[in-house]
Amino acid sequence: MLHALVLAAEEAPNPILPDPAELIYGSLAFLLVFVVLARFAFPVINRMLQERTAKIQGDLERAERARSEAESELADYRAQLAGARAEANRIIEEARRTAEQLRRDLQARAEQETQATIARAQEEIRAERDRVFDELRSQVGQLAVDLASRVVEKELDDAAHRRLIEEYIEQVAGSGNGKGRSAG
Amino acid sequence: MLGAVVAAMSRPPEPFQPPGTEIFDYTKNCLFGSGSYCVTRVSFWMLASVVLILAVFLLAFRRPGLVPRGLQNAVEALVDFIRNGIVMEVIGPEGLPFVPFLTSMFVFIWVNNTFEVIPGIQFPTTSRMAIPLFLAVLVWFLFNIVGIVKQGGWRYLKNNLFPAGVPPALYVLVTPIEFVSTFLVRPLTLSVRLAANMIAGHLILAIFFLGTWYLQWKLATIPFAVASFALGTFITAFEILVAVLQAYIFTILTAVYLAGAIHPEH
Repeated sequence: MLHALVLAAEEAPNPILPDPAELIYGSLAFLLVFVVLARFAFPVINRMLQERTAKIQGDLERAERARSEAESELADYRAQLAGARAEANRIIEEARRTAEQLRRDLQARAEQETQATIARAQEEIRAERDRVFDELRSQVGQLAVDLASRVVEKELDDAAHRRLIEEYIEQVAGSGNGKGRSAG
Repeated sequence: MLGAVVAAMSRPPEPFQPPGTEIFDYTKNCLFGSGSYCVTRVSFWMLASVVLILAVFLLAFRRPGLVPRGLQNAVEALVDFIRNGIVMEVIGPEGLPFVPFLTSMFVFIWVNNTFEVIPGIQFPTTSRMAIPLFLAVLVWFLFNIVGIVKQGGWRYLKNNLFPAGVPPALYVLVTPIEFVSTFLVRPLTLSVRLAANMIAGHLILAIFFLGTWYLQWKLATIPFAVASFALGTFITAFEILVAVLQAYIFTILTAVYLAGAIHPEH
């Protein structure tokens, strides 16, 4: 059949029928390309592609891991910050409460002390007054007795004696008429 | 070859001789060796594409870095395109073992297509039936073997020829169609699509630039030569795209056939 084709090609070049020599060289050419590429080029290409895929995948995974780590750390920090803020608020609130309590205590004690001081002062004043009053009373009594004894020593004559007695009797008799008359 | 250059530099014969299929036939012009199995211009560039592809790939991964740069980056982008753009999309993870094969196929077809517009080469080696046919037959064996290995011989045949969800009466119609389309037509369409596209591209470029050469000899036709050259340049750019596109179509169809062989439900 190949021989027939050769004869046909020699007689009249038909573009649809292959020339045997060209068929051999063309086939050889393609097989050479395929074998060398498949044997030498594609192992390298595939290894390259695999390595690149692995590298990109690894990089992506590392990046993802780093991102999730950073996120969890951020969440931790946020939680810590919130805890610290709550703690600070609590401390401030406690301090305020303590201060308020202290203020109230101090105020109450001061008031108490004031009251106590006032009461004591009043008491002292009263005691002093009583004492002065007693002292005064005894001195006045003494004075009156002294005066009376001196009057009695000097001027106890008959007339005076009589007036005294009369005054006394009148005083006793009209005790409701007041002292003004006795003084006058 | 030198004679061809001299002939091209001289005034073309009157009237215009449009290029035909003979511009694809280098079987009689040996570059190296002699006889019918000598290395012709076409064979030479087929073999040169091997050196070029291997040099680029091995240079790109001579000292591979985890962070790709330069040539490594470009080649990795290409492999990534085949791997994720074609294999993962069409077949899925089970198709990953076929990435080296599909990448080799894509690059090999692409480079041999692009020879069409490389100055000094200007011949798509894939416009010769040899490479497309060989690759198509290789793909035919590959997807059938994969189907038989993955699904088992009988189940593979049954899934292909008696697709599920079809009323049994229609099998009379469906089974022959499926048989022809899957087992006979696939390699044919795959190879002829590629070769025909490259033949057409090379023919159009040859016509426009030979036309430019022919038209610039007379003052009256120089404007047409300019138009012809402009259009030829535009089509050159278009052919750069076609070169990638045909390589892509060939590769993705192979992936589709493999996917059908690996997963029974299409």
